[in-house]
Amino acid sequence: MPGVSDTVKPAVSRQPRMRPSRVPGRRRRRDTTTAYTLLAPSLFGFAAFLLFPILVVVWLSFHHWDLLSTPTWAGADNYGTVLGDAAFLNSLAVTAVFVCLVIPVQTAFGLVAASFLTRGLPCSAVFRVIYVLPWISAPLALGIVWKWILAPTNGLLNTLIGERVEWLTSPALALPSVAAVVVWTNVGYVTLFFVAGMLGIPQHIIDAARIDGAGPIALFWRIKLPLLRPTMFFVLVTSVISVFQLFDQIYALTKGGPHAVTDSGTLGYTDVVAMRLYTEAFSTFNVGKAGVIAVILLGLLVLITLAQQLYFRKRTTYDLS
Amino acid sequence: MAKRILKSAAIAAASALMLSACAASDTTEASTTTVSFRLWDETVAQAYEASFDEFEKQNPNITVNINVVPWGDYWTKLRTDVAGGTMDDVFWINNSYYGAYVDSGNLMDVGAVMGASAAEAWEPSVVDQFTRNDTLWGVPQLYDAGIAVYYNADLLEKAGVDPEALDDLTWDPEEPKNDTYLAMAKKLTIDANGKTAETEAFDEKNIAQYGTNLAYDLQAVLLPFIGSNGGHFQDGDEFAFADDKSAQAIDYLVKAINKQHVAPSAADTNDDGDFSLNTFTQGKMALFQSGLYNLKNVSQNADFGWGVAMLPAGPEGRVSVTNGIVAAGNAASENKDAVKKVLGWLGSEEGNAYLGVDGAAVPGVVAAQDTYFDFWKKKDVDVSPFFDVVSDGKTIPAPTGPNYSKGFEQYDPIFKEIFAGTVKPLDGLEQAQAAANGAIGADG
Repeated sequence: MPGVSDTVKPAVSRQPRMRPSRVPGRRRRRDTTTAYTLLAPSLFGFAAFLLFPILVVVWLSFHHWDLLSTPTWAGADNYGTVLGDAAFLNSLAVTAVFVCLVIPVQTAFGLVAASFLTRGLPCSAVFRVIYVLPWISAPLALGIVWKWILAPTNGLLNTLIGERVEWLTSPALALPSVAAVVVWTNVGYVTLFFVAGMLGIPQHIIDAARIDGAGPIALFWRIKLPLLRPTMFFVLVTSVISVFQLFDQIYALTKGGPHAVTDSGTLGYTDVVAMRLYTEAFSTFNVGKAGVIAVILLGLLVLITLAQQLYFRKRTTYDLS
Repeated sequence: MAKRILKSAAIAAASALMLSACAASDTTEASTTTVSFRLWDETVAQAYEASFDEFEKQNPNITVNINVVPWGDYWTKLRTDVAGGTMDDVFWINNSYYGAYVDSGNLMDVGAVMGASAAEAWEPSVVDQFTRNDTLWGVPQLYDAGIAVYYNADLLEKAGVDPEALDDLTWDPEEPKNDTYLAMAKKLTIDANGKTAETEAFDEKNIAQYGTNLAYDLQAVLLPFIGSNGGHFQDGDEFAFADDKSAQAIDYLVKAINKQHVAPSAADTNDDGDFSLNTFTQGKMALFQSGLYNLKNVSQNADFGWGVAMLPAGPEGRVSVTNGIVAAGNAASENKDAVKKVLGWLGSEEGNAYLGVDGAAVPGVVAAQDTYFDFWKKKDVDVSPFFDVVSDGKTIPAPTGPNYSKGFEQYDPIFKEIFAGTVKPLDGLEQAQAAANGAIGADG
């Protein structure tokens, strides 16, 4: 079959890097057309399933709608109501506490677990699979299992410790309990990436450090951790986003409760932003207010991602290739 | 070349075949109409299966599909499906939620569809409940009568209590001397060491058997206790539970749960509506105050001797809530003629009787109700306490109003905290009432 090897070889490698800018205009336009044609299917998906819903939510946030009557224009009313709503501000605070509690703990657990899993101990492969199981299971189903484990009467945990503890309904314990379930769910996913990152560190660098006298602790803090920076960035960004969108476990375990009844309103101890959004949209049917919360959540996530990107860009990244 | 022609011909033939196949299935579909029917109760759905089998025999061109949507999701899904235009043709609706759908024009006017005289055959209290703006908005399907108390005869016998004594129990939040109910509940609450809640040595942390199911259960506990103390839950569509009598009744319940420990804690019951039912059927609760909606559950799952006693009387006597459920027609349905036939069947003695025949529910068609009584008489179960309690006409209205769900979302978390004992009843009720009334007045 003549010519096959020519077509298989990547064309880019043989061409000088600056070549595209010297291509005549017509050729470039044709390239762009081809590119868009090839991109069309995924662009369609992006527009239909991502961009369009976002635009609809933005549109809804400027309307009053209870799902039954026709939506009426609300101007900025909903934004005013939501920003002055103690329950919404509380949900932001609760979400922030969740982030501060869940992210450090799951990252630390993930790093420790990854260090053990990359040591080549027996059964490492089995453990790698077991660690990821919670993450690939349906969070709502896991939530229901955990609800039974943490139930005050006949719950597995209380039966084991022989004491009646109200894990999910006492104001002091509800948030830490849910956070623990979230950490348990996510740790495997985080570990998976750290394992991949650690396996990507060339053995000769580690050997060199050992020869220079680095013990296991110095090796971890001075060599492995700095070299894991790109992995760390990815893990932190995705974890923060996932904790901000935390909903399933809350829905299954506490539905936002227990509540503090205060002069400014009824505030849930585990009422995270996504739970508040759900309550506004599907329990009280204030779809406009829910739209505002969704828009604010989107804005916050974009800001957080940008901030994280800036922070990590300033720091050195090592090229291991 | 010849091959290619042959291939094209084959493809053309195949396409034609497929087209004709499509056309054929189209014509058969056109001759039968499918009507979808939605409800939340699995037990009653089985009775409907039998009913619609007969209906389909009589109307071979109509098929009825039953969709069971669990209670926990029912009202959210109903709302989103109506908004999305994917709602079933006929669906169950209750007194607390139907108002919003009437006001938004989503329900069929039953009088216009079935004739004004049709309602004469139906349970009058249910017809009243679902009449709004002088129009009836649903075909009565079942009638809940009143609230009564299921008792575990084995546990009563162990405690030396005659079941007939239960009918004379009274509770009184002001005069402990008149309160025989709480004394009975304490006698029937026993810890792991066999000590009753009457004794000093009672270990409240290790309760093996509860006396009662007092809890934040609006229909079975809260409304009857408020009503029997002369309090109100609503005044028209507005919430009015922050009055002294209601607060006193709720305070009584909260103390019975958290101080006397005669009922499971709010941590168990607030989020698990079936906790008490399960505890009772497991033989770990002596008295279970509930409605006919749990009769079938109790009868199927209790493997001990049991019976039904009257609701305990309060300072104002026995004041129960009564409730009904109707089948409503979706005004946006495309199969209006078929829906009309299905509604006609559901409102007929023949069609509705299936609910009573196997004891699932009291039929909303009065003439069909005997089937229900016959079923339970054969099982040797006396259901009269559920009916006697409402026979004198003293009832507390079931929650209602077009924006009830918005009010509910406001008061519900506060009520849970009141029962958990973290908020004082009167303070909590005042705040809950203000928040709930604010929500039904303000339009989101």
